[in-house]
Amino acid sequence: MIGSWELALIVLSAVIVTVYGIVVGLFLLGIDRKLAAHMQARVGPPIRQPFIDLRKLLIKENVVPDNAIAWIFNLAPVVALASSIVILLYLPIGSIYPPLGAYGDLILVMYLLTIPALCMVAGGFASGSPYASIGAQREMVTMIAYEFPLAIVVVAVAWRLAAAGIQDPFTLGSIAAHPIWSVAGPLGIVGGLLLLLVMAAVTPAELSRIPFDTQEAETELAGGLLVEYSGKNLAMFSLSQGVKTLVMAAIVVAIFIPWNISSLVLLPEGVALVADLLFFLGKVILVMFFSVSLVRVAMARFQINQVVSVFWIYLGLIGLVGLLLLMADAALPAAGVII
Amino acid sequence: MDLIASLYTGSGYWNPLVWLIAIVVVVVIVYLIWSRGESGYKKGTLQTTPFISGNPEPEKSGVHIPGGNLYWGYTEALKGYYSRLVPLHTGRLNDYLLWYLGVTAIIMVVVVVTA
Repeated sequence: MIGSWELALIVLSAVIVTVYGIVVGLFLLGIDRKLAAHMQARVGPPIRQPFIDLRKLLIKENVVPDNAIAWIFNLAPVVALASSIVILLYLPIGSIYPPLGAYGDLILVMYLLTIPALCMVAGGFASGSPYASIGAQREMVTMIAYEFPLAIVVVAVAWRLAAAGIQDPFTLGSIAAHPIWSVAGPLGIVGGLLLLLVMAAVTPAELSRIPFDTQEAETELAGGLLVEYSGKNLAMFSLSQGVKTLVMAAIVVAIFIPWNISSLVLLPEGVALVADLLFFLGKVILVMFFSVSLVRVAMARFQINQVVSVFWIYLGLIGLVGLLLLMADAALPAAGVII
Repeated sequence: MDLIASLYTGSGYWNPLVWLIAIVVVVVIVYLIWSRGESGYKKGTLQTTPFISGNPEPEKSGVHIPGGNLYWGYTEALKGYYSRLVPLHTGRLNDYLLWYLGVTAIIMVVVVVTA
């Protein structure tokens, strides 16, 4: 049962996390643009540029094409942003336990990650544009492609924690409290590194960024599933992009780099909370730099059939090897084999 | 059965009602932000025709993506698998029954040997 106190807490958390997700998400987009610009020997826009862009989009006309199914076309961006924000409620923020951590685990987060993508598919098909239809079709295929390696990462980490006797291995709180690196032996650490590599590749795909941005592909599809979007609808998709960046980086941090400053250095309670929060944001920026900014500057776009091959064949195999190493790491010592 | 309790599967858990409350609250906030934006546009002008890089709009049927092409990219990448699998679907019941019997026999052998 949910009491009135829990209900009030859920509503309050939702409001706070919405503001936090939007502000930090936009800052992340600004930092990403700045980092990418510096790597290309450009000055780049100011970090607050995404805020300026958002304000500009909100005063621009919100064109609904003649061919579009208006209600789906307008609803998709709103639900895409809202569903991205809700995922944040299930993820730890620094040393703060996730507000809805007791009401859903990592498996749920995996499923919730599909909702923003499905909204983009629905919005693309509802646009009534050939470019957007192709973009929506590619988004769907990309989603099918990266779900498999993502599932391997989640299952492998949870399985290793369960093998070490940790309760509720799919709970993000448990995963963050027992980092895979402290549970696993040498073989397991190699397996964990392979899974980290897979997760680093899933992140740009989930965010529709280079090299997995075939669904938008400005140079061939003129923006793909976003081609007909403008004004406030495009603003919502752009906000959603920022929030999703924070979500994906927070998932990587929770699974692979969950340490906090307060667990390493003794600090007063209030200071520890702020220090952990800043440290968390630093880790998020680090993850974003390596799996989004650096990759999109260094690589070209994959074709859609290459995207599927990369995820189902190459990263699927790397993930399975990682899983096998984690299994061997647990099974061999139990069988008396010293590694 | 308590419909508003969390569902525990043995390995994981989730509470649909809590998710629903959270998404409703967030949708309301997002809608408030969305509604602050400009709604107007020039209906019935070139603005509302689909953007096809300045080219005239082709026939709807010409640019429609049929169901068979929806997963293009996926089937293209895994064509080595599909090119072998699709011809096996002959549409003849006799073939399917033979496959069923064959696979059942293999599974029985594996089960008996491993037991």
